[in-house]
Amino acid sequence: MNFIRRAVTAILILASPATLLAQEKFVFTPQWTAQAQFAGYYVALDMGFYKDAGLDVEIIHPTSTLTAMNRIRSNDSHATTLQLCQAMEIIDRGIPLVNILQTSMNNSMVIVSRRGVNPLTQQGERIGIWSVGFGQLAKCMSIKDNLNYDWIPFATNVNLFIKGGLDATLAMSYNEYYQIVQAGYELTDEEVYRFRDSGYNVQEDAIYMTREYYEKHKDQARRFADASRKGWEWAAEHPKETLEIVMKYVQVNHIATNRILQKLMLEDVLDAQIDRESGKREFRLRPDMVKLASDLMVECGMLENEVTYEQLKAD
Amino acid sequence: MSTPHISDYIKQSLSRKLSLWIVSFAALIFIISLGFMFSQSLRTVRQEAVNRATQVLDNTTLRVNSILQMVEIATENTEWVIKKHIDAPDSMFIYSKQILLNNPDINGCSIAFEPYYFRDRGLYFSAFSLREGDEIKTTQEGNDHYEYFYMDWYLMPKLLDRPIWTEPFFDYNPDDVTYNAMIASYCKPIKDDFGIFIGTLSVDISLDWLSNTISAVKPYPNSYSIMIGEGGTYFVHPDKEKLFYQTIFTETLETPNPEISELGHAMLRGEEGMRQLVIDGAESYVFFKPLGNTGWSVAIVCPESDIFSGYTRLRRIVIGIVLFGLLLMLFAFVRIIRKEMEPLKKLATQTGTIAEGHFDQTLPDDGRTDEIGQLSQSFGNMQQSLVSYIEELKQTTAMTASLENELKVANNIQMSMLPSVYPDFKGLDLHASMSPAKEVGGDLYGFVEKENQLYFCVGDVSGKGVPASLFMAQSAQLFRVLAAQGSKPEDIATYMNNELSENNDANMFVTMFIGLLNIDTGRLDFCNCGHNAPVLDAKFLDMKHANLPLGLFKGFEFEGETVDDIRGKMMLLYTDGLNEAENPAKELFGDDHILEFMAKAGNMTAEEVLDKLKAEVEKHRDGSDPNDDMTLMCLKLS
Repeated sequence: MNFIRRAVTAILILASPATLLAQEKFVFTPQWTAQAQFAGYYVALDMGFYKDAGLDVEIIHPTSTLTAMNRIRSNDSHATTLQLCQAMEIIDRGIPLVNILQTSMNNSMVIVSRRGVNPLTQQGERIGIWSVGFGQLAKCMSIKDNLNYDWIPFATNVNLFIKGGLDATLAMSYNEYYQIVQAGYELTDEEVYRFRDSGYNVQEDAIYMTREYYEKHKDQARRFADASRKGWEWAAEHPKETLEIVMKYVQVNHIATNRILQKLMLEDVLDAQIDRESGKREFRLRPDMVKLASDLMVECGMLENEVTYEQLKAD
Repeated sequence: MSTPHISDYIKQSLSRKLSLWIVSFAALIFIISLGFMFSQSLRTVRQEAVNRATQVLDNTTLRVNSILQMVEIATENTEWVIKKHIDAPDSMFIYSKQILLNNPDINGCSIAFEPYYFRDRGLYFSAFSLREGDEIKTTQEGNDHYEYFYMDWYLMPKLLDRPIWTEPFFDYNPDDVTYNAMIASYCKPIKDDFGIFIGTLSVDISLDWLSNTISAVKPYPNSYSIMIGEGGTYFVHPDKEKLFYQTIFTETLETPNPEISELGHAMLRGEEGMRQLVIDGAESYVFFKPLGNTGWSVAIVCPESDIFSGYTRLRRIVIGIVLFGLLLMLFAFVRIIRKEMEPLKKLATQTGTIAEGHFDQTLPDDGRTDEIGQLSQSFGNMQQSLVSYIEELKQTTAMTASLENELKVANNIQMSMLPSVYPDFKGLDLHASMSPAKEVGGDLYGFVEKENQLYFCVGDVSGKGVPASLFMAQSAQLFRVLAAQGSKPEDIATYMNNELSENNDANMFVTMFIGLLNIDTGRLDFCNCGHNAPVLDAKFLDMKHANLPLGLFKGFEFEGETVDDIRGKMMLLYTDGLNEAENPAKELFGDDHILEFMAKAGNMTAEEVLDKLKAEVEKHRDGSDPNDDMTLMCLKLS
């Protein structure tokens, strides 16, 4: 009897997809240092979802000298996360990318005024912008709404804003926004301009890989995407446990943050994953948002050519 | 079984009561004086703590400022050289190194320029020198991976157009050199001759010494120091997890704490001051002061328990001593007062014995001259007075008993003077009674038969008691004698008046109604000498002459009157003891009451009339003692 049971168990184990395939090495590089913005991936790794998908995933965070896109270009990493507008810019510059999992369903970018006024009244004033990209929508908005902001690129944090070098700054509602609040700013709705509420609701984070890599590893890409999605879904259901996992990565990477900021970030990121129309976590790229972003960026001269939904989409 | 109440326990003993009062009063004085002392001490300790912490804070900031100023001066001193040799980019490497050579406290120096400022040097040009041990390394630090012109240290002086201290940071440039230490940079904009920004001169200083200096500030055993940057970030804090990772406001994001937020804002505004608030569950005092013009703020957190530990210990000891002292005082007072009051207690017992009638009880005499001794002596005197008074009382009582006995005899004599046998005339129903208010009375009645005639009288002597009874005896005797002589009523009155007024020094008198009834004809001759009008046939007798009472004026001629026939008519004679009989409400029996009664008495015998009338009077009195003698006489001739 025991023998039969062992035999059946052995067959089942051998037949499982994870074991049928050899564990394939897969390097994933999120676009920023360790934080709750990437919670789903940490969960998928720690909970064994990648392993179950037959993937030996390694998460390597970018450094200032080796950005995520550099790693993708050099094939040191197989996938990264990018905002939709960033991905479109890169595609427009001649590097075809494939969106294998759209996580964000809403835009999280805001403009925070330091002067206690509505950012829409700060025409021509100094507005901080990340020096490493992002902010394409803000630039479009500045042009289209005739605000002609004086963009000041900054490197890493909100000190420039706090010190008074800026009149306002771009911020992610899940990150810099809370850093500013944490610095003692009590912000009112008037002082915070939210793109998603102002006709610029363009999706942000998604997992991208080069089309070249994708064409050769479609199944692997699908499995990575599915396991990542599972990671995010688990994170949404288990925010407390997820925060613990995030803090582990934060501490290993010596990130200057704290549990409270990461908790707030996780809540905000998970909230941005819910489609405002359907009220669900859809994990899909929305053609209408692609069209909106592409049209805006073409109009503002950021794209030479339109980037279509089909160009981005995986099979 | 009920438990005795504590207040009863106290009330039962004067020593306890007195002791408690004294100790309560002492406690009140202690509370007021100690309260004042404690509040003053508290203020002094607090002020001392403020002074101490402020002094420590001042010394620390002074030391820190002196080093920071050194950096600022070194930077200022280098700026002019840079501007002087702005056309020689390579000289920048020398200057950046020189500043380190000249100032051992400075760790690094960047002389960085705007992109393409030196066309031949390309996008990046930043001459950077770094101290590594005894060596100084100098390089060009800008490259595609380190776009210095986006860094805070470069941008801030550019945007703010003034020298600034950056927030402390970990600089990193893995392609070149790496700092492990926390550093801060003093950055000054470099401008060309036209005042246009061309780059930033940044001088780095390791903050390890700063951290150590501030951390070492510990005015109290459990106090600690913190330093926050312009964004509220902790750059010095005993909790290493908070260092760099948290701001003073972080925890308020999850759990709002207005006091902490207010403190944070005050520190960020560059204020100097003190706040009292709860930190990590402990009441604490926070003293804070800005650090030069860095935008940073240093604070010393002192738990209240530390500041006031000596004061609290002293307070506990003092309160303990006072409480012990008060209890000791209470105990001692109870004992002392009880001892002092012991003779009083003995006196109380012995006077109690005296009060029970044991007058021979000796009182304590312990030779005391104080109030208790005086009280004892007074009690002794009182005892003696009481003994002699009681002796007197005994004699008086015996005398009174004898007098009462004599009065009883006098009463008997007086009553025997009144006729007890009624005349035996056919058709005459006569009855009389005299009730004295005291042992002996001043009322009288009498009747004398003379052939077919009946003399009768009712009188009332002024006053009461023995003198009145003697005057009454004399009057009764005179009436009997004069009636027996067959005189007319008015003659009897005139004679009696003359006799009674003779030697009447006491001015006594008697009112009297003297009647003479002819049994055969029913004719009534009478002389009323100031007496109440008799009732005849339920009406007051109509009289023409009131006359005077007997005994007042000698020689007064009394007038007599006549009623032709009183047969078939009931006649009532009485003294004012009847009509003036009072009830407890002092209401009189009254004339109307008499007439009302007599109207119903037509068919009664004379004896029945008197009995019922007396019962009526008793009823009216309703338990009151008789206020006057009462004499009644009723007669009816058929």
